[in-house]
Amino acid sequence: MKKSNGATLIVTTILIVLIILWQMAAQANLINGQLLGSPIGIFHSAVIGVTKGQLLYDTWVTLVETLLGLVVGSGLGIGLGLVLWFYPRTSDIVEQFSILLNSIPKIALGPLIIIWFGSGMISKIWLAGISTFAVAMISACAAAQEVDKDLLNLFKSFKAQRMMIFKKLILPATIPWIFSILRINIGFALIGAVVGEFIASENGLGHAVFVAGSLFDLNSVWLGVVILTLMAAILTWVVQLIEERIVSWKVSQ
Amino acid sequence: MENRLEVSHLSHAFIKANGEEIRIFQNLNFAVGAAEIVAIVGRSGAGKSTLFNLISGLLKPSAGKIALGAREDGSAGSIAYMLQKDLLLPWRTILENAVLGIELQRPVTTADRSRAKDMLARYGLESVANAYPHSLSGGMKQRVALTRTLLANPTVVLLDEPFSALDYETRLMLENDVISLTRSEGTSVILVTHDIDEAIAMSNRIVVLGGRPAKITREENIVLTVDGSSAERDAVTARGAPEFPQFHKTIWNALRASDVAHASA
Repeated sequence: MKKSNGATLIVTTILIVLIILWQMAAQANLINGQLLGSPIGIFHSAVIGVTKGQLLYDTWVTLVETLLGLVVGSGLGIGLGLVLWFYPRTSDIVEQFSILLNSIPKIALGPLIIIWFGSGMISKIWLAGISTFAVAMISACAAAQEVDKDLLNLFKSFKAQRMMIFKKLILPATIPWIFSILRINIGFALIGAVVGEFIASENGLGHAVFVAGSLFDLNSVWLGVVILTLMAAILTWVVQLIEERIVSWKVSQ
Repeated sequence: MENRLEVSHLSHAFIKANGEEIRIFQNLNFAVGAAEIVAIVGRSGAGKSTLFNLISGLLKPSAGKIALGAREDGSAGSIAYMLQKDLLLPWRTILENAVLGIELQRPVTTADRSRAKDMLARYGLESVANAYPHSLSGGMKQRVALTRTLLANPTVVLLDEPFSALDYETRLMLENDVISLTRSEGTSVILVTHDIDEAIAMSNRIVVLGGRPAKITREENIVLTVDGSSAERDAVTARGAPEFPQFHKTIWNALRASDVAHASA
């Protein structure tokens, strides 16, 4: 993290400069503010959204859908992937299925899931969960199988039971992988939730963006995009914090 | 049985995917007594590591027997091993790594921990007991691995080229650690190596593997005169013993002879 401080500064500066240029261009009518929006316009939308609209509530809804989908989908996927370590033969079969499952464009299941679970939050949690499940399972399964064979033999030479090997070797060895699965899945869960909101919903940032878009309110569309980006960034950061806590032996290297 | 380990009529073969049988060993016979160090040398590809896996029980032999002798009190003996890789778990502290072998058997007691600390202290590792492996040098890590191996209380320790990745000085120190261990604890050691110097300096007996499938082509008892009198050898004085060059020549010729025989076959 320390190393990236310089890079963060440069990125922030470039972003600020771009935003200022954008605003100046919009004010000077060099670009069509109606079609492209402008930073101050976005800010106005944010103020109105918070004071008069339901921006905060929409953000909350999308956050909850994403988080629950991420935790349940990845959790089940990782759990199943790891448990499959006990059953190498079954794991081959299940892996074939999950590769198949993973090649389904999950978004295309959206209409089905909304018909089954309604237009409320439950269907979005399902979509977010399904978007993360297969990736989590395949990766966790692969991570468990890639544990150093010499370490496995060492444990066997100490006459360790399989459950002991799982607890003391497989689980700790795969924890760094589990966190990288979670980080990747934040994006997938967010896509699942937002696309679900596009298809049918009354609340959520996806819904807000969709409505604003159909009203040509581009500043509000931008606002939604910015909030979604921030949400993903903050979630990634939180996962990283948890990882640094748990995998302290690695961070201190 | 009096020996710690007896290998009798051991033969082993792998079956390749196409059904072809690759014979690795043919009729190996040797024994390891208490507090004895037996070195197994052979050219690369002679199946040294396969033999190691057979003795440690990770592989089942096609034919023959590997018998482990009981302890003095009659309870069953056990084997622990150590490889060139230290195989320390990066998420465990040095002390936690050291007690791993015990922990996989039963809950670790305070007595176990203090025994582990004593042993770490003997190898100069007490100050890093709570550190993680990544902060240690290669030699220190191998000493932790040795500590972990010994804390499991084995009657026979298998070493598969355990020091070959270390610098010369560290290597001599670890060789001494192992030699003195056989004296203090009466542990028996099987050393698998391709390094003739190391084999002569450390062992009481050298078993030479050669040919394909590998057979024992020579067995040589190593008796060294160090410091002229009855002084016990260590890794350095052994290399200065007057018999050392002769043993080196004998073992080298035995290895080469099996190579030549193999090449002409």
